[in-house]
Amino acid sequence: MKAVSRRTFIQSSAAVTAATTLPASGTPLGAQGRAADSAPRTAITVTVNGVARTVDVEDRWTLAELIRDHLELTGTKIGCDRGECGACTVHLDGEPVYSCSQLAVWADGRAVTTVEGLADGARLDPLQEAFVAGDGPQCGFCTSGQLMAARAVVSATPNPTEDQVREGMAGNLCRCSNYNRYVAAVLGRAPRRATDRDPLSVVGRTPPRIDAVERVTGAARYTGDVRLPAMAYARVLRSPHPHARIRGIDTRRARAMPGIFAVLTRENCDTVWRSGDQQNPRYLFNNPVRFVGDPVAAVAAVDRHAAEAAIRAIEVDYEPLDFVLEPEEALRPGAVEIQPGGNLSRRRDGEALPDTYQRGDVDAGLGAADVVVKETYVSKHHSNAQMEPRSAVARWEGDRLTLWTPTQGISNCRRDMARDLDLPPEQVRVVCEYMGGGFGNKNQCQDADLIAALLAREAGRPVKLELTRKDDFLGVHGRWPTVQHYEIGASSDGTLRAIRLRGFSGMGPHRKSGGGIAGIELFRCPNVHREVSPAYTNMTVAANFRGPAYPQGVWGIESVMDQVAHELSIDPLDFHLRNLTRAFNDETPYTSWALRECLTEGADRFGWSARWRRAGTRSGPLRRGVGLAIGMFAARLGRSSAVLRLEGGRLFLHVGVTDIGTAAKTAMAQLAAEAMGMDLGEVTVVWGDTDRCPYSVGESGSRTTTHTGQAILEAAKDLKRQIDSVDGPLENRTLIAQATPEPVLDGLARYASAAHFADVEVDTELGGIRVLQYLAMHESGRIVNPLTAESQVKGGVTMGIGMALHEELLYDRLTGIPVNPGYYGARVMTHLDAPEIEVRFIEPDDAYGPYGAKNVGEPPIIPVVAAIGNAVFNATGRRIRELPMTRDRVLEALA
Amino acid sequence: MRPLANVNPESLADAVGRLGRGGARAAAVGGGSDLLGMIKDHLVSPDVLVNLRSLAGSEGLDTIVSGSAALRVGGLVTLTRLSTHPEVASRYRALSEAAGSAATPQIRNVATLAGNLCQRPWCWYYRQKFPCYKHGGNRCFSRVGENQFNAIFGGGPSYIVHPSDTAPALVALDAGFRLIGPGRERIVPAGEFFTLPRVDVARENVLEPNEILAGVTVPAASDLRSTYAKVLDREAWTHAVVSVALALHMDGGRVGRAGVVLGGVAPIPWRVPAVEELLAGRQVTGSLAAEAGRLAVGGARPLSKNRYKVPLVENLVRRTLLSLAAGG
Repeated sequence: MKAVSRRTFIQSSAAVTAATTLPASGTPLGAQGRAADSAPRTAITVTVNGVARTVDVEDRWTLAELIRDHLELTGTKIGCDRGECGACTVHLDGEPVYSCSQLAVWADGRAVTTVEGLADGARLDPLQEAFVAGDGPQCGFCTSGQLMAARAVVSATPNPTEDQVREGMAGNLCRCSNYNRYVAAVLGRAPRRATDRDPLSVVGRTPPRIDAVERVTGAARYTGDVRLPAMAYARVLRSPHPHARIRGIDTRRARAMPGIFAVLTRENCDTVWRSGDQQNPRYLFNNPVRFVGDPVAAVAAVDRHAAEAAIRAIEVDYEPLDFVLEPEEALRPGAVEIQPGGNLSRRRDGEALPDTYQRGDVDAGLGAADVVVKETYVSKHHSNAQMEPRSAVARWEGDRLTLWTPTQGISNCRRDMARDLDLPPEQVRVVCEYMGGGFGNKNQCQDADLIAALLAREAGRPVKLELTRKDDFLGVHGRWPTVQHYEIGASSDGTLRAIRLRGFSGMGPHRKSGGGIAGIELFRCPNVHREVSPAYTNMTVAANFRGPAYPQGVWGIESVMDQVAHELSIDPLDFHLRNLTRAFNDETPYTSWALRECLTEGADRFGWSARWRRAGTRSGPLRRGVGLAIGMFAARLGRSSAVLRLEGGRLFLHVGVTDIGTAAKTAMAQLAAEAMGMDLGEVTVVWGDTDRCPYSVGESGSRTTTHTGQAILEAAKDLKRQIDSVDGPLENRTLIAQATPEPVLDGLARYASAAHFADVEVDTELGGIRVLQYLAMHESGRIVNPLTAESQVKGGVTMGIGMALHEELLYDRLTGIPVNPGYYGARVMTHLDAPEIEVRFIEPDDAYGPYGAKNVGEPPIIPVVAAIGNAVFNATGRRIRELPMTRDRVLEALA
Repeated sequence: MRPLANVNPESLADAVGRLGRGGARAAAVGGGSDLLGMIKDHLVSPDVLVNLRSLAGSEGLDTIVSGSAALRVGGLVTLTRLSTHPEVASRYRALSEAAGSAATPQIRNVATLAGNLCQRPWCWYYRQKFPCYKHGGNRCFSRVGENQFNAIFGGGPSYIVHPSDTAPALVALDAGFRLIGPGRERIVPAGEFFTLPRVDVARENVLEPNEILAGVTVPAASDLRSTYAKVLDREAWTHAVVSVALALHMDGGRVGRAGVVLGGVAPIPWRVPAVEELLAGRQVTGSLAAEAGRLAVGGARPLSKNRYKVPLVENLVRRTLLSLAAGG
């Protein structure tokens, strides 16, 4: 059968404006090369961005599927495929709809406008321009949907109010949580500079992201947008049981289905995913399965529907085992053993003991204290919920693998892939042009990457694997839940005497990352004892999520500190100023330190002393209260690389960054321009491809600016030396400099810090908490780009409010099955939930890092839950010690 | 997604016929937002979708007519049109507010009134396909499970709450539902449309598989003052934690007749006759409103994790009543 090439068709149809008709129905649209097919089809005529098209669609195709897979308009994104996120918003006859929740066949005779239809040729829509200038997109994955929603608002109401904008965009989530920026852009409010420090030539200025236009036009190519000839589609079958032994898997029915290219199970795949567990072998397909969502099998098929049908045809015989969900319970005698050797995950030194830290004598300190507060705090599994679900496209050319994947570190991902597939690293190429957020769960390589690669090898053709939203909530990871038992003592003058923490972290059944409970280091205290037990449980795996160990730990300790101050009748501001850390763990001096200024200047700006009143002194149904909390995050130095190539008067900067939405590419370009004394416009960044970029530290742990930025500065020094030594004109020369510095701190600690101030209103009758005002004071060294850095802070704070008030992956206790995996169930913040976040940077000099820059990505979420919780206590006199602070907990606390 | 066929019926009779012939393999679809999600999650598996929107423009299915005797709203009218219709907003405010409070602009642009009224439960056990009563099983997992959003009234054996916002408003407004089946048409009072699980645990209403909810009729009343108040657990895009629809037929400064219906608390829109009787003939004062709140939660039987709904309902009813009486 001869199929018309889709690409030819699209290209030719794009050139004409009249109706175009595909050849007779029965000829597959070509995209997926389906041969015989029983799925009912219908020829429809739909006008897409002004061009009428007649296409033969399967009745089951969604409109999003038609637009993306078959019309190749990939600016429209799929974040959930359930009408719960808004990324797929398009206009249908001028009205915004979720294209994932409409069948293509229903669009027959109607007009569809996608993000690609907004601009008039090269002239952007005014809203696209406003999004560029106002830093609307961070990762950009939600941006097309935000634009289509905003366009509908403004078309209906040319000068909308802020409420109208928020209402009109309420159906569009942004997990980078850049809601303030989007709303301001639609309202035409220009961003204001969030710092008083004078800029250098390029560093410290506020140019828009260098790739902002790609992010607002749908041109930015994400992994899911990659399509290769003859590519197969994959799906993963996951365990419905929290803990079960697999007695057998029967794949015969699946293998016999038409259009199936490959089936993987533990029986034909024993690959170990090493970055999935630091301590135990974690196979791609495990037996026993240890959490709901544990992969059991994967299939590659001619299209996504065939793949889905095939995994449903796989029969698995499970023998359910006992399971345990809570970390403390998992460590009790008699609890079911989840990993060999017990449920206490081992320490770094291999001992099966809790992680401990000690200084002084806590018992003596508590004994000498005038007040001792003993409280327990319980935080929950919090899903990263980035807008782009994990996906991967794998292609083999002989023994060489090319992997497109949304990773937070192409170099680390390549290293991991090569290791797990037993290949030399040169045989693996990892490409990540754009990616839709991660916040820690796209570090390293993911099992999805390995599964796609192995399916592609087995199928003998490229394979695309896209996790469903539910797969992503369950199969990747979220923030580890904790139980934190504190005893904190202080003297009557407010001086801390002792801190004891006995904590438990629920890691799920694998140790994928840290598992700590951080925050004690925020305080100066002579006697400290911290003991944290990371425990295996049968909940979904927990690992890095923005500020990994801090938001939950700081919530715990800052709540107790607030309580200590309360019991001593001391203003929490004074209590903090007295007990702030001055040296890390009261021992190591900081390279620079402005946490005190964050507190004092923040308190002035917020009007703290005029607004703070003793907790519980408010009355009436609506009670306002203020709260503050502090945070820190290590601004490490370390190894990374950069290559600078000067050619034809342009500077090409090769760095292995992927830009997960932090504007890392822009910051790197600014640093290079500054170091070379060039304009930003003279710099071209080459990024996101291990074949074209040197090693870079992953975009995790807030390290790109400090690590890769320092490498750029070192390479620039070299390049300038080369320029100085060139005889004659430079124009025809190509100069290349590269550097891989490994700077170290000599006996110093380097930290970014923050102080946050919240004003909340608690409705004591309906149990609601509203954040009325929020100030985030941040010290992150020199700020490379205050525009994009401020967006980071606004987003981190908003995400933290969601953690405080709404979000939790909730499990049914009887069955061990999560009941709310997805955006609807997780209650992720919307445009209507996000308050205005005021951000200010304090920029002290720091002798380390590029121009003294520290880091911005991780810190903003750290103090948020504590600041909100303390404000709620201040308003009501009641403390909520279990997250999230939902209406049921508020009303129970007030009862 | 499984293969399925979309059919555009020629008439209501044709649609009804196709639904009848298709049995469980055929499903009527309006806006499709909810149904497509359920199909993707394999909660339902129809082979044929009878696309009712192809009937828009015929038989009053897609029109809003506000007459002197009644308001008639076709089943295919979208929530956006319903919530932005000026006559509905001024004369039947509860309905307008309820329609405008549902979901998001994108969903309201396609979601139909009939679909909103007939949507299946959003109990997460149902949505995650636990083998509960609603899926033909023999237990309700929420009874001893994560039941913070489940029923405090009318529960047993299933403890779902009815998810529709427009349903409490229409019950409070004494609406009638027009159901069209094979060769017959019946008008069912809104209050009798919804079905308690103890009557039939598999369904939420009396609509037969081969019937279509063609429209609703709300009797006009010049003395009507109504509102719909909804409490969410985030500010948008969730169903009501609890809600209340109030319809007060005023007699001067006094309430003549009252419709008081709660949402989010029971498997059906929960009419509260005790409050309706309390209000009849009375002037709304602070103490009367407080009494109404207390009566509204009379007989509540909360589960382990939804006790908070009791004060929530009590306070919401009191506040909403006072605000409505004050003309707010």
